[in-house]
Amino acid sequence: MTLMMIAVMFLLLALGFPMMMPLLAATLLAFFVFMPDLNLQLVVQQMIGGVKPAALIAIPMFILAADIITRGHSADRLVDLVMRFMGHIRGGMAVSVTAACALFGAVCGSTQATVVAVGGAMRPRMLKAGYNDSFTMGLIINAADLAYLIPPSIGMIIYGVISGTSISELFIAGLGPGFLIIGLFTVYCIYYAKKHNIPVEPRASWKERFDSLRRALWPLGFPTIIVGGIYGGVFSPTEAAAICVMYALVLEAFVFKSITYSDVMDIAKSTGAITSVVFILIAAGAAFSWVLSYAQIPQQIIASVGLEGASPLMTLVAINIAFFVGCMFVDSIVVILILVPIFAPLVKAAGLDPVLVGVLITLQVAIGAATPPFGCNIFTAVAVFRRPFMDVIRGVPPFLVVLLFATVLLVIFPQISLFLRDIAFR
Amino acid sequence: MSTQETSPTNLLTRLDHLIDRAEGWILGWGVIIMATNTIANVFGRYVFSQSIYFTEELNEFLIIIITFMGLGYVTRKGRHIRMSAFYDLLPNRSKKLLMIVIAAVTAVAMFILAWYAFEYVEKMARRGRVTPALQVPLYMTYLWVIVGFALTGVQYVLTVVKNLDLSDDDVYISYSTVDQYEDPEISEVMHLYQQDHDLEQPPQDASLSPNPNDTNNNHNSNNTGEIRS
Repeated sequence: MTLMMIAVMFLLLALGFPMMMPLLAATLLAFFVFMPDLNLQLVVQQMIGGVKPAALIAIPMFILAADIITRGHSADRLVDLVMRFMGHIRGGMAVSVTAACALFGAVCGSTQATVVAVGGAMRPRMLKAGYNDSFTMGLIINAADLAYLIPPSIGMIIYGVISGTSISELFIAGLGPGFLIIGLFTVYCIYYAKKHNIPVEPRASWKERFDSLRRALWPLGFPTIIVGGIYGGVFSPTEAAAICVMYALVLEAFVFKSITYSDVMDIAKSTGAITSVVFILIAAGAAFSWVLSYAQIPQQIIASVGLEGASPLMTLVAINIAFFVGCMFVDSIVVILILVPIFAPLVKAAGLDPVLVGVLITLQVAIGAATPPFGCNIFTAVAVFRRPFMDVIRGVPPFLVVLLFATVLLVIFPQISLFLRDIAFR
Repeated sequence: MSTQETSPTNLLTRLDHLIDRAEGWILGWGVIIMATNTIANVFGRYVFSQSIYFTEELNEFLIIIITFMGLGYVTRKGRHIRMSAFYDLLPNRSKKLLMIVIAAVTAVAMFILAWYAFEYVEKMARRGRVTPALQVPLYMTYLWVIVGFALTGVQYVLTVVKNLDLSDDDVYISYSTVDQYEDPEISEVMHLYQQDHDLEQPPQDASLSPNPNDTNNNHNSNNTGEIRS
């Protein structure tokens, strides 16, 4: 039964079926062939139950806020801010890209939007300053991963709901690894600039700096609401998302005047469509994981690959590899929906902190988005910068090494991610 | 659309447009009401220290509508996430055949689900359960699941019909949308980006085709072997 379900899923996936179909077909197959005495109404019931959890409402809210804000000029303002403060050190421009990606990632949770917004603004400047194009594009698509790790993060919300982990804790625990990666990228960028003798930029005056800070003050409200609100225990993630929507609307409609009344319906429709795409997967995933747990398939798979009774370290390594490989080929949400329930018994048996597991999974999902052959950041970069695929991926390997190094550090020193969580919630 | 259309096709197209408008309207207002509802609840909780008693229930109802009514809308716009790496390597004629298989199989799955959703909702209606806060019959909330699955199934059947016309070289990912190479999500972001930045672009360039809803877009070669992810 397990083999047949896997075979059907891979077949439909490879043929290019819409992503919900591999999940639904495997579920229906299991019901028709292997559990004929069960009523298929259960599938529908599970699908409806899957989209109902109140915590999931944060997803459309964050998508809506990001949809509103990407129509304005927030990205440019944030890029300007970091450039004025860090542009003058050696490799400062590359470091600024990393910082700008992190800041923009704190405004919206999409790595692709980050590639477009920050990459579009920074790539011409970097080329002018003497950076190599492959390095530039490699940096942009990898630094954009930070958007997934730094809250808000849709992957974390879905993981939190299906594994029953606190989303607030996940958000806060994502910050540590986020800063770690910023640090590692900074070191690598400075090393690169020294080695290739990239000229330094003139230092900005304090007046210019103050000016850019004033201009970036409004967009900086988002991380304040999300991180501050959740860290301080004021907001739940859903409430923080709702406040972000209101803030984004006020900002773009009244302060920057970049959207009009008639745009609102368009934005809402677009948000509704993206929400539906994501939520039908969540619904199908709920039905699928019900079948998995009913037929005790995770236990079978774990036993057949010899992971039964694995040590916590082995478990973490296995999870990292599975998610990294999975995300190289399939959309991250689908990978989370399929693999989290499969690994759930193993995580429980090993006594691992589900928050740590969630952060590691999010990190792998983010890395997968920038890894050939099918990382979605790469295709975004191909479309935005209009460079051939091979040119774009040439710059990826060094950053991939840095990110995998960060993963190893995180596995060995989980405190990197957990200390902020412990301060805030324990 | 060509000018000498036969009237049944014309009728189908008009019906499709009508459903499209209705679904878009439901999606848009669903999101707007959900946002208003959630924001109001936060204010209620912090300013008046009183949660709105029906917020959670209303949001449950709305997310079910958005998910399942949006399903047909998203299908029509060809925006489902697919892994199309191998599919993209095929010649056009094979793609058309494969698309017929994909649409037919998916349509069958949708109708199966619509049928069992119907049975489930009917059971709910017979038991006469009502929601705790608003006292609305529970089956009213779930009715949309049947409608959503059925409309999506119909949409996929229409896709099969459209692709069966072998004299037309285009591969249709839905009744009204030609299959394009580029990722719809990316083109959406790109579209917004260009509105703001007036990127200099040659108008015939393939990778920048701005709008996923642009149905007249023909195939353009793209040497990446890409995935719509």
